[in-house]
Amino acid sequence: MSTTTLIDARDLSVGYEMADGGLRTVLDRVRFGLAPGVALGIVGESGSGKTTLGRALLGHLRDGGRFTGGTLTVAGIDVTDARSVARSGLRGRIAAMAPQNPLSSLTHHLAVGAQIEEILRLRAGLSRTAARDRAIALMAETGLPDPARLARRYPHQLSGGQRQRVIIAAALACDPALLVLDEPTSALDKSTEAQVLDLVAGIRAERGMGLVLISHDLNVVARVCDRVMVMRHGRLVEEGPVEAVYSAPQAQYTRDLLDSARPTRAAPVRPRGAGGPLLRAEALHFAYPEATLLGSRARKAAALSDIAFDLHRGETLGVIGESGSGKSTLAALVCGLRAPTAGRLLFDGAALGALAGRRSREQLRRIQIVFQDPLSSLNPRLRCGESVMHAMRHFLGAGSREARERSAGLFAQLGLEPDLFERYPRQLSGGQQQRVAIARAFAAEPDLLICDEVTSALDAAVQGQVLDLLASMQARSGCAILLITHDLGVLRRMAGRTLVLDKGRMAESGTTAEVFSSPRSTTAAALLAAAHQIERRSTTPIQTLETTA
Amino acid sequence: MTNETLLRLGRRPAAVTALTVVALHLGAAVFAPLLSPADPYAMIGFPLMPPDGTNLLGTDELGRDFLTRLLHGGRTALLVAFASGALAVGGGGLAGLAAARYGGWVDDAICRLVDMQLALPSILFVSLFVAGFGQSLPMLVLVVALLMSMGVVRTARAQGLGLMEQGFVKAAILRGETGFSIILREMLPNAAELLAVELALRSSSALLLVSALSFLSLGISAPTPDWGLMIRDGLTSMRTEPWLVAAPAAMISSLVIAINVATEGVAEALGLEAARGGA
Repeated sequence: MSTTTLIDARDLSVGYEMADGGLRTVLDRVRFGLAPGVALGIVGESGSGKTTLGRALLGHLRDGGRFTGGTLTVAGIDVTDARSVARSGLRGRIAAMAPQNPLSSLTHHLAVGAQIEEILRLRAGLSRTAARDRAIALMAETGLPDPARLARRYPHQLSGGQRQRVIIAAALACDPALLVLDEPTSALDKSTEAQVLDLVAGIRAERGMGLVLISHDLNVVARVCDRVMVMRHGRLVEEGPVEAVYSAPQAQYTRDLLDSARPTRAAPVRPRGAGGPLLRAEALHFAYPEATLLGSRARKAAALSDIAFDLHRGETLGVIGESGSGKSTLAALVCGLRAPTAGRLLFDGAALGALAGRRSREQLRRIQIVFQDPLSSLNPRLRCGESVMHAMRHFLGAGSREARERSAGLFAQLGLEPDLFERYPRQLSGGQQQRVAIARAFAAEPDLLICDEVTSALDAAVQGQVLDLLASMQARSGCAILLITHDLGVLRRMAGRTLVLDKGRMAESGTTAEVFSSPRSTTAAALLAAAHQIERRSTTPIQTLETTA
Repeated sequence: MTNETLLRLGRRPAAVTALTVVALHLGAAVFAPLLSPADPYAMIGFPLMPPDGTNLLGTDELGRDFLTRLLHGGRTALLVAFASGALAVGGGGLAGLAAARYGGWVDDAICRLVDMQLALPSILFVSLFVAGFGQSLPMLVLVVALLMSMGVVRTARAQGLGLMEQGFVKAAILRGETGFSIILREMLPNAAELLAVELALRSSSALLLVSALSFLSLGISAPTPDWGLMIRDGLTSMRTEPWLVAAPAAMISSLVIAINVATEGVAEALGLEAARGGA
C-alpha cells in the first residue's frame, strides 16, 4: 500500500455478536478513502455506525464487535488484524482518538498533566522531565491558559471546554498522522464549541494531519472539514466535498438532514389572550446555597438576578443563552424544583409556592416540564404506557380504563406506535422516549409546559419531528410554552418572543425577529454568528476545495 | 437476568467456578443430614482418632465424627449470615434512599449515626450488646444486621443521590407524590440490582464476622457444630492434628472468597461497575 492514501476502506463490514449467537451488522460494505492531511466529517443519526467506524480506524471495536468482511488500512497497516495493529504501534503513534465524553474519559484522581505525561512515557518512551515539558507544550498548543499550573489540576476543576482541550492534547501526544474525534463538542455550549473547533482546524492545518470528525451536527462538520460522509443504518449514503454535498445533496436523506439543520422561518408572535399574563416573574433572584458550619446560606455570586418577564396564555417564550447562563436554573425555579432567593412568581394572578411541596395539586398539574435527557426522564422500570397513565390517574383522577384510552390517544397524537405502550423506555429510540415524556406532560392537561433543552440530546432529523409535534400539541391544547434552548434554530422555529440570558442576567428581550435581526447584546450576536456557519459554507464556491493533498 | 447477561457471565470462568463452589456449599449445608455418615452430636469413638475407613476425617476432641461436624458446621452460621444480610439490605437500603430523598436533617441524622457506628470496632460493639442483652441467635442476627447495614446505607444513599438527579424522580416530585411513594415506586426498583449485589457481599462479610464471633465465644455457642467454634476447639491440638483447624478454616475462606468472586462476576455481567462500595 502506498503512502498516498491515509485511510483505505474497501467494502468494510463490522458486526456485533448478539446474545442469541447471531451477528448484527453495524457497518455494511463501507467504501471510502482519505488522503493524508485531509479532514473528513462523518455525520449520521445515532445508530448509523459512525462511532463504530471511528473505532474501527484504530482497530479497536467494542466488546463483541468483529470485522466481518472487506479491508481497512490506515497508513498501510491492516487494522482488521489485531496482531498487525499491535506490532505497528498504530494507536497513538499513527492514529489517535479523542473519545466523546471528556469527563468520563479522564481519570478522576490524577492531575490532567500526569495523564498526558503517562502517554508520553509509555508510548513515546520519554523520560520523566522530558515528558513533563512536552505535556506542557502540548497543553499550550491546545490553547490552555497557563498550562504549567493547569497541568496540576484535576479533571473536575476544569471547565468542559478545557477538558476537551486536554483530551485533544493527549491524543496529539505521539504526533499521530490521523486524529479521530468522536463528537468532540456535543457536551459544550455554542461559543465554546466554536473555539474548540477553530482550535482543531488550526492544529490540523499546522501539523498537516489527517482528521476524522464524527458528529451528528452538520454545522460542526461545516466548520472544520474538507469532505463529508453521510451514514445511515451502517451504510454510506453519500460522500464528497463539504461544499458540494451541502449545496447539492444527492440523497434524500442528506437533504432531510440539511433541512433540519438550517435556521428556519420565524415562528409567529401570538396575539395576547384575554386577562392578565399566565405567568409573571418579578425580580427573580437565585444563588446556590453554600454550606456553613451551621446550616447553609446563599452564596454571594448569583446564578440568576433581576429576572422579570410575562408569559401569556398560549404563547411560546424562548429563553436562550450559553451553558452557565442560568437558563436551566430559571426552568427549575418556575417548575418548583428550586426556591428563588428573592423575588416571586405569579401564576394566573396567584402567588406560586417556592417549592413544589408548597404548591397546590392544581398548580402542579397546570405546570408541566419536559427534561433534556429523554432516557433519564422516564422510570426505566415502568412500561412507557404506565408512566403516562400514572400521571393521568394522579392528576385527573381518571379510572384505569379511562386513563388507558386517553393515554393511547396521546400516543397516537404524538405518532407513537400502539405497541410502544407496553415497552420499557430502554427499548425505544431517543426521539420516541422524548415523545413519551411529552405525552406524560400533556396527560396532566397543563396550561404551561416548560421545555428544558428537549431536543438537544436528539439527532438533527428527529429534532424537527419532535418540535413539529410540540407545536401541533400546543395548537391543539392551547397551552403556553417556556422554551429553554441554546439552539437558535429551535428558538426561531418555536418561539414568538425571546429572552436572552447572559451570566444570570437578562441581556435582551423582545420578539424573536427583533432580537435576532439586530441583536443589541453580544450574546445574541454570538449565537447568530454561530448559527450562520452552515449557510456560509453551502454558498461558498466549490473551487476552494483542498481534497488533493 | 437477560440472556445477554448470562452469556457475558459464561465468558468469565472465575465467576462460573465461584458460583459452582457457592452452590456446592449451599448444597452441603442444606443436605448435611443426608450426606453425613453420623450424628453430629453423638460420640462415636475415642477423642482425636486419626482418619480411617469409617471416620474419613477422624474424630474431634470429644470423639465426634469430624466430617459430619464439618458438613453441619456452616448451617447455623449461614442462616445467621443470610438473615442478617437480608435485614441489613432491607433496612439499610430504605434508610439510605430516604436520606437521599429527604436530605436536610434526615440525611444528617442518618449519616452521623452511620459515622458513629463505623468509628466503633465491631467486636466491641457486639461485646456491649452481648453484655447488655445476653447471647441468643435472634440477638446475634440483629447485631450483625446492624453492623452490616451501615455500609449498605452509604451505598444506597449514593445511588439515591444519583437517582434524585434523574428526570423521572424530579417529575414525581413535581407531581407532588409523597416521599414514601417516590422511594418505593421510583427509587427502590432502580436500586434493586445494586441492593442484590449488596445482599451477597454483606452476607459473606456477615459469615466471616459470625465465625470470628463464635471463635471468641460471642456468637454461636457449643455444642452446635460451627466452623468458628471448631477452629477454637482445634487450636489445642493443632500441632498433632492440624486438619482440625485447617479444614473448618478452609470451609469458611472458600465460601467467602467464592461468594465475593461470584458476586463481582455477576455484577460485572449486569454492568454494575459501582457495585463494590461501602465499608
